[in-house]
Amino acid sequence: MKATVRLLPLILCVSFCVAVQQLLAQDWVHVSTNMAQEKIRLAAADFKPVGDDPQTPALKATFDAVLYNDLSAAGIFDLVSKSMSPQATPGSPQEIQLAQWAAAPASATDVAFGALSVSNGRLIVYGWLDDTRNTTNPQVLGKQYNETASQDLARTLAHRFADEIIKQLGGGVNGIAETSIYFVSSRSGSKEIWAMDYDGENQRQVTHLGTISNSPRISPDGSRLAFASLGREGWSIRMYSLDLNRMVSFPSGTAGGANFSPAWSSDGTKLAFSSSRSGDPEIWVCDAGGGNLHKLTSFRGPDVAPTWNPKTNSQIAWVSGRTGLPQIYTMDQDGGNIQRITDGGYATSPSWSPNGQILAFSWRRNYGPGDPGARDIHIIDLASLRWDQITHESGSNDFPSWAPDGRHIVFERQDGHRTDIWSMLADGTDQRQLTHTGNNTMPNWSWK
Amino acid sequence: MSTLLEANEQLERTFGREPVAGPAMGSLALHAALACAVVFYGLVAGLFHHNTWGGTPGSGTIQVQITSSIPLPAQKLNDNVLTTSTPSEAPAIPETKPQQQQLDLNAIPIPGRHEKEKPKPQPLPKTQPHQPQPRTDNYARYGEQTGQQIPRSVAQTGANGPTSVSDTDFGSRFPWYVDGITRKLRSTLNRQEVDASTPLSSQAYLIFTIRRDGTVTDLQLGQSSGSPTLDRACERAVQRVDTFGQLPAGYNQSTLRVTYDCQYGH
Repeated sequence: MKATVRLLPLILCVSFCVAVQQLLAQDWVHVSTNMAQEKIRLAAADFKPVGDDPQTPALKATFDAVLYNDLSAAGIFDLVSKSMSPQATPGSPQEIQLAQWAAAPASATDVAFGALSVSNGRLIVYGWLDDTRNTTNPQVLGKQYNETASQDLARTLAHRFADEIIKQLGGGVNGIAETSIYFVSSRSGSKEIWAMDYDGENQRQVTHLGTISNSPRISPDGSRLAFASLGREGWSIRMYSLDLNRMVSFPSGTAGGANFSPAWSSDGTKLAFSSSRSGDPEIWVCDAGGGNLHKLTSFRGPDVAPTWNPKTNSQIAWVSGRTGLPQIYTMDQDGGNIQRITDGGYATSPSWSPNGQILAFSWRRNYGPGDPGARDIHIIDLASLRWDQITHESGSNDFPSWAPDGRHIVFERQDGHRTDIWSMLADGTDQRQLTHTGNNTMPNWSWK
Repeated sequence: MSTLLEANEQLERTFGREPVAGPAMGSLALHAALACAVVFYGLVAGLFHHNTWGGTPGSGTIQVQITSSIPLPAQKLNDNVLTTSTPSEAPAIPETKPQQQQLDLNAIPIPGRHEKEKPKPQPLPKTQPHQPQPRTDNYARYGEQTGQQIPRSVAQTGANGPTSVSDTDFGSRFPWYVDGITRKLRSTLNRQEVDASTPLSSQAYLIFTIRRDGTVTDLQLGQSSGSPTLDRACERAVQRVDTFGQLPAGYNQSTLRVTYDCQYGH
């Protein structure tokens, strides 16, 4: 009896450990999601070639492929695969038999179709979108395009038509097929700013400074590119004019200390950035021309990586190390009403969604000795502070940036020795690698 | 002599009374074993931490469901729990989460609505489920071409219930637009804002107007569901929509009146 009493504490301890283990095991269960809600069942018929110009087949092939890819990547369509589509290539509303497309296996509710011809060096495209369930008034959209015949413009026209379809069926939200992504790449020998189409095509070098540049941020009107660059004055915010194709002056970004991570307000009138000109890195704001410079934060510890609420331009989210490890905070544009968003771990690189409701950021939730955890992209709803992890167990993911449609996110993924730019839907699905050469980091999605 | 014997006994009692060494060693061994068990547990638990995507254990818990704000067609439900192995000194946000959710559910309705709504819900649920169609009386009857018997609305039976438009032939001419309204409202309705005790068949009846540019105006709660939280969630679903997209070019009115039967189901 006495021995039993002596062993009682040990038994209790062991029981406690077992119970805790069971509780933890329950929390580790991954709860399934109900993602299986319906998307729009859309078919994209091959366009009908018209005329016998020798350029037509190649341009048509490009147009068809790009249109299909754009619609597939939109995130709102359940696109009918080519193998399930009827063999017909209707070239006009009179030629299409909607019943064919509405029937299985295509089972499409909407069909995009049209005709493409090349005449006198001009590429002419007629595109329609029909609703198969509405036999009396099937036409949803009708468009005509006329551009110089070239592969680039065949791609552009396909992007344009895809965006029209996405806008029409996607509830008025503009498509992103004509947007660009700016990023840092070392493929030319030094870290320069590069640009590419949203699908990774047409990659081109923007800056040729021969130094280290990072954090590219395109202005809302697409005319200027702000970025941080290492020069004689140290790290400074510099400005590149995409209209003039050359660097333009931005004196506010060079005055002493290290200046990093610029961020445009969505109206293009203000620029926030991090500067250590007063000692600690703090958040500073100035007009787009560099005037009216003032400091927003004054705390011990670094304050970096600001991003504006693009919906209101009245708030800024940023990363602060005031409590040790970097955490995400938000504040009003006057520096007041500071709110801490993340509660621990290692949180960096916030990006505010176009609707102003969500922050995407990179987070190592379990950062600490012996357990560095994984760096993954997370999103957090600012009204409820509910969060979700959207990349899982695939490399180290950082620098998310929202697409203007609020449905896509571009980010950098380091896997082994390579770092590349990837895009995905904002729920983490449909991940696509966009770069394949050199090291590519810090992507920024254009505003339109 | 007897005194000497007594002294010996006293010495024996003092120094040989109890065997202390054995129990002490036992106690030490037990403590050491316990410490080893705790360390071993920590190591083993740490080994499996990288499997915690989707939710790791912790003190604070937050229900995760935020993709309703993303304009994707699908709505994602996720019950991750928030945790950090290095909780910081700053005010712990997660701990307020469950309260906030409950505040949404309870605190808001209590002052105003309990007195007004409570009497309603009990009689209403019995008659309410049969009401939505009679509410067509509320449809605007302006600007209609007389004599046409084209269906007045296109009903989309989905998780959030049907969406109807008031214009005479809009639904038949532009069903894709009505589909778009339904899809958008379905994606913006956050079911976690609704009190879990709300009956599945509950439905609120909302009326709003879409301007030509697709923005929403004149949102009204036509008929309460009996659940203040469902009413609010439905209203917020409409308010979250920036635009439904420009009204179709072939539609010559400047606005479109929409009734939204917001159902709590599935």
